[in-house]
Amino acid sequence: MKRFYIFMTCILLTVLSCEETVILDVNSLDERVTIEGQLTNQEGQTFVKLSRTRDFYFQGQAPRITDAIVEVSDELGNRFTFAHNPDNNPELQGFYFPVSPLAGRIGGTYQLNVEVGSDRFTASETMLPVTAIDSLGVVLDEEERDDPETPGRYYEVTFFASEPQDRKDQYLFKFYRNDSLVKDFPTDIYFSDDEFLGERIDDLTIAGWYADGDRCKVEMYSLTQEAFIFYSDLFNLVNNDGGMFSPPPADPRNNLSNGALGYWQVSALDEMEIVVSPPEED
Amino acid sequence: MKKFYFLLFFFLFFNAVHSQEKYTLNGYVRDAKSGEELINVTVLVTETGTGVITNPYGFYSLTLPEGSYEIQYRFIGFITKKETVVLDKDVSLNIELEEETLELEEVVVTAERADENVTSIQMSTNQIDVAQVKKLPALFGEPDIIKTIQLLPGVISAGEGTSSFFVRGGSADQNLILIDEAPVYDPSHLFGLFSVFNADVIKDSELYKGGIPARFGGRLSSILEVRTKDGNNKEFGGEAGIGLLASSVMVEGPIKKDESSFIVSARRSYVDLFLRAANQDNLVYFYDLNAKVNWRANNKNRFFVALYSGRDDFSFGDNFSFDWGNRTATFRWNHLFNDKLFSNTSFIASSFDYGLGSTEEADGFQWDSNLQEYSLKQDLNYFFNPKLQADFGYHFTFRRFAPGKISPGEGSIFKEVQLQREFALDHAFYFGLQHTITPKLTLNYGARLSIFQNVGRGTVYEYLDVLDNTNPIRVDSTVYGRLENIKTYTNFEPRFSARYLLNGTSSVKLSYNRMVQNTHLISSGTVPLPFNTWAPSSTYLKPQLADQVAVGYFKNLSDNRYEFSVEAYYKTIDNITDFADNAQIFFNRDLATEYRQGTSEAYGLELMLQKKRGQLTGFVAYTWSKVERDVPDVNLDRPFPANYDRRHNLNLVATYDYNDKWVFGGNFTYGTGRPITISSGSYEFGDGYVPDVITERNGFRLPDFHRIDLSATLTPRRNKGKKYETSWIFSLYNVYSRKNPFSLYTRVALDDDDNVIGDGTIKEARMIYLFPILPSVTYNISF
Repeated sequence: MKRFYIFMTCILLTVLSCEETVILDVNSLDERVTIEGQLTNQEGQTFVKLSRTRDFYFQGQAPRITDAIVEVSDELGNRFTFAHNPDNNPELQGFYFPVSPLAGRIGGTYQLNVEVGSDRFTASETMLPVTAIDSLGVVLDEEERDDPETPGRYYEVTFFASEPQDRKDQYLFKFYRNDSLVKDFPTDIYFSDDEFLGERIDDLTIAGWYADGDRCKVEMYSLTQEAFIFYSDLFNLVNNDGGMFSPPPADPRNNLSNGALGYWQVSALDEMEIVVSPPEED
Repeated sequence: MKKFYFLLFFFLFFNAVHSQEKYTLNGYVRDAKSGEELINVTVLVTETGTGVITNPYGFYSLTLPEGSYEIQYRFIGFITKKETVVLDKDVSLNIELEEETLELEEVVVTAERADENVTSIQMSTNQIDVAQVKKLPALFGEPDIIKTIQLLPGVISAGEGTSSFFVRGGSADQNLILIDEAPVYDPSHLFGLFSVFNADVIKDSELYKGGIPARFGGRLSSILEVRTKDGNNKEFGGEAGIGLLASSVMVEGPIKKDESSFIVSARRSYVDLFLRAANQDNLVYFYDLNAKVNWRANNKNRFFVALYSGRDDFSFGDNFSFDWGNRTATFRWNHLFNDKLFSNTSFIASSFDYGLGSTEEADGFQWDSNLQEYSLKQDLNYFFNPKLQADFGYHFTFRRFAPGKISPGEGSIFKEVQLQREFALDHAFYFGLQHTITPKLTLNYGARLSIFQNVGRGTVYEYLDVLDNTNPIRVDSTVYGRLENIKTYTNFEPRFSARYLLNGTSSVKLSYNRMVQNTHLISSGTVPLPFNTWAPSSTYLKPQLADQVAVGYFKNLSDNRYEFSVEAYYKTIDNITDFADNAQIFFNRDLATEYRQGTSEAYGLELMLQKKRGQLTGFVAYTWSKVERDVPDVNLDRPFPANYDRRHNLNLVATYDYNDKWVFGGNFTYGTGRPITISSGSYEFGDGYVPDVITERNGFRLPDFHRIDLSATLTPRRNKGKKYETSWIFSLYNVYSRKNPFSLYTRVALDDDDNVIGDGTIKEARMIYLFPILPSVTYNISF
C-alpha cells in the first residue's frame, strides 16, 4: 500500500520533471558501525556482517570490520561463538559465522553481542513463526510475450498462501531466478504486515519475469514488529524524494544499541522452488 | 454567551442615547457596469475628513449630526464620485462607480488624501487584483491567483509547480483558504500545478498575514479570502478561453434586471483528450464548476447562493486510479436591521475527499477518505458613527473526519479495514471595535473566544507509552457515545491593531494577534499532498497557538502613485504539530504515537513598493525571513530550520498597458534555496541497499531559485457591429530556461541507461527540476 504512494509521486515527477546528477558539498562523516545480522530456523543461514559507514563520495566497498568479537546467546543460556570468515574467502571479509552449525528455534529469543575495539553493541530478537507457502503458479503475460524486456522471459510467477487471521504477522519476501536475487527495481523491498490482508492470498504476482525452464524460488521470512518497522523505514529512506512530498529522510529505527546502524534479524523461513513451465491451457 | 448579549444590549443602548440629533446615511456601493458590490470603498465626508469603508458585502453606514455634507466615494481604478447629501432625516443612498479609463487615470491623481495603504488600519494585508493576474505570464497560460500570492512579501513558496504557500513562518496548512466564506481544504489541481481558483469568476481576493480581524479564526498564519462575482445584473455577458491545457467558459447575467443575477462558470483540462488520441492509457484531467445566484429582494434583504465543485482524476492504464476534489456551498442572507446594524447570516458546507483504487486482480482495493464541515455564521456590523464601528458574531462548525476506509476488490488479498472517524464541534464568539480616537490615531481591538470540542462517537485508547511509535501498546480504552464530549479546548484570542498618521502621506501601524488552530494536517512532507488527511484537536493533539506582533511604516509617494511599506514581524507558535522521524502517517491506527508537538519561532522584514495606477503597474517585494522549529524527538531534540525557511526572497511583478491593443506583463522571482535533509554518508545493508546516513534535519540547502516569465496580451480592435471582443495571451515561462531545483535525492549511481555503475556501492545526488522554457498561448472571447 505504501509503495502505491511512492508510485504516485514518481509518476508525477517522471511526467513533468527532468533530473541530473549534481555534486554535493558534504562534510565528512563521523564513522559509525553497521551490523547486519541474520539468524533463521535453518542451518547455514546465519551470519553477522560488520562494516563501517563511509563518506558520501567514498568509492568502493564500505570498510569491513574483521577483528570484532561476535557472540549470540539465547534465553536458555546457550552461547554460540562466531568466527570471522573461517574460509578466508576474500568476498566474505567482514562476515562472521557460527563456529558450530546454528539453527534457531521458533519462539526462541536470541541476543547478539558484538565488540568492536572498546565499543559494545547488543540486540535481542525473538523468532516468530512464519506462514507456509501453499504453492506457486505460472501465468503467461501476453503483453510481455509480444514485447519482452528479456527475450523468452514473459511468465509471471504467482504466490498462494493462507494468512492466519488470529495472530499478527509480518513478512519479508525474497525472490530468486536461477539462484540470483530478483527485484523489479533496485530499491524495492518486499515486505508486508497483515493489517489489510484477508485470509486467502491467491494469485499474488511476485517480482520479475521468468522463462520456460527457469528455476524460481520464493523465500518468506517472519519479521518481528521492530523488524517490520526497520524495513519500512529503510524502504522510505532508499526511496525518498528529498522531502518535497515524502517525509524528511531519517535513519531507520532498529534494534541495535549504541547507535549502530543496520539490524539483527531473527526469522523463521519458509521457501518453495519451482521450475517454470508454460501453464496448461484451460 | 453572556458577553455577547451584553454587547448587543450595549450597542442598542448606545444607539438610543445618541440617535436624537444625528442621522444615518447608508447604502451599497456598486460597479456601474456590472452591478457588483464593491468592497473597501472609502466613503469620506469632505467637511470632517472622516469616513468609513464599505464592508465585505459593499455596505456602508455613516451617522452624522444634522446638516449638509459632501460625500466622496473613492476606489482604486474607479472615478471618484462626489454627492451632496442633506441629512435632516435618515438617508439611504446606493452609489454606482464608473471604471477609470486609461486616459483619465493620468489626470485624476491629485488626490488630497492618501489612499488605503496609508489610512487603512489594516496592515499585513494584500489585495490580489485578478485583472492584473490575467495580464501576467502564467504557466501553460492558466492565470492563477495563488501563483501571484506566492510572490507577495511575507509569502514563500516551496518552489514552482505547487499551490502551497507559507506565510510568515507558517506551514501550508496554516492558511485558511476561503471561497465565498467556505473553506477549501486542498486548493490544488494536478498536485499543485494549478489552483482551484478559476480566474474568470473571481471578483476579488485578499490575503491577511497579520493583524487578522476577530471575525476570522481557525488557522494560525493567514486568511486568504476569495470572493466570486455575483453576476452582472444589468446585462448578459460571458467569457470563454481556450488554453493549451484547459478551456473555460463563463456566463453571467440578470435574472431580473438590477434585482437578481446569476453566474455560471466551468473549466476543464483536456490533456486526457490528447493522451487518448495518442493511444495513451494514462489519463488525467481536472475540472472546476462555479455557480452563484444573487437576489436583492429589497435594500434590506439580499440573498446569495454560491456553489463550487472541483475534481482531479488520474488513471493509469486499467489498473490504478486516484481522484480528489473539493465541494463547497454557501448560502448567505444579508439583512439590515436598521440603518446602522448590518447582519450577515451564512450556512456553509464544505467537503474534501479522495479515493485511490487498484483493479488488479490480487491486490485490488478502493481506498476512500473524506472530510466534511458544516457551519452557521452570524456576523453583525454596527456603525455607531464614523468614529466607531463594531463587528461581532458567533460561528458554529461541525466537522466529520473519515480518514480512511479500504474496501477490497473481487478476489483481492485485502480485507475491509476502516480507520476510526472523528467528530468535532467548534464554537467561536467574537467582537472587534474600530475606534478613531483622534483624526490621526485609529485603533481596532477585539477578541475571539474559541471553544473546540472533540466529540463522539469514538474510542480513545490509552497507551503504555504514547511516544512509542515502533511498537505501540494500547492498555485501556474509553468509548464515547454520539456527540459525547471527549475533550474540550477553550482559547481566548486577543486581536489588536493601531494606525497613527504621521502626515498626509505616511503612517505607522502596529498589530498583535493570537490565532488558534484546531484542525491539524497529517503531513510530514514540505508540500501537502491531496492524500493527506486532517485530524481535530483531541486527547493526544493539543490546539496550535500562534502569537504575532507586527510593526510597519507606510508611505505614499508622488501623489499616491507609489505605495511603499516596510513591515517587521515576530511570530511564535506553541504546540506546532509535527511528526516523529520516520512517522507512518498513512492509514495508521495508532497515529497518536506519531504526533510530536513543538514550538516555532519566526521573524522577518518585508519591503514592498507598489504602483496601482497608470500604464505601468506592479510591485517589487523583498522579504528577509527566518523560521526555526524545536520539536521533541525530532533532529535529536535540537532546533532545525523549517522546510520552508528561505532567507531572501525578491519578486518583481509588472504589467504595462502599451496601447489598447497590446499589454505586456512580466515577473522575476528570486529565492534562497529550500533547506533539505540529505545524506552525510552511506553504509551497506542487505541485498544491495546503500542507505544514507542522516545526521541533521534540513542541514543542507538547495541552490538558489530564480526565473523570469514574460507575457503579451493582444486585443485586436473591435470591429463595429461585432458583439464580442477577443484577445490572445502569449506567455513565456522561465525565459532563460534556468534549471531551478525542485528537490534532491540520492541513489546508487546509474549510467544513462539506468545500469548500475561499478559495484553498486557508489552513490550520487540527483537534482530534480521541473520546467524549462515553456511557451503557451491562450485565446479568450468575451461577450
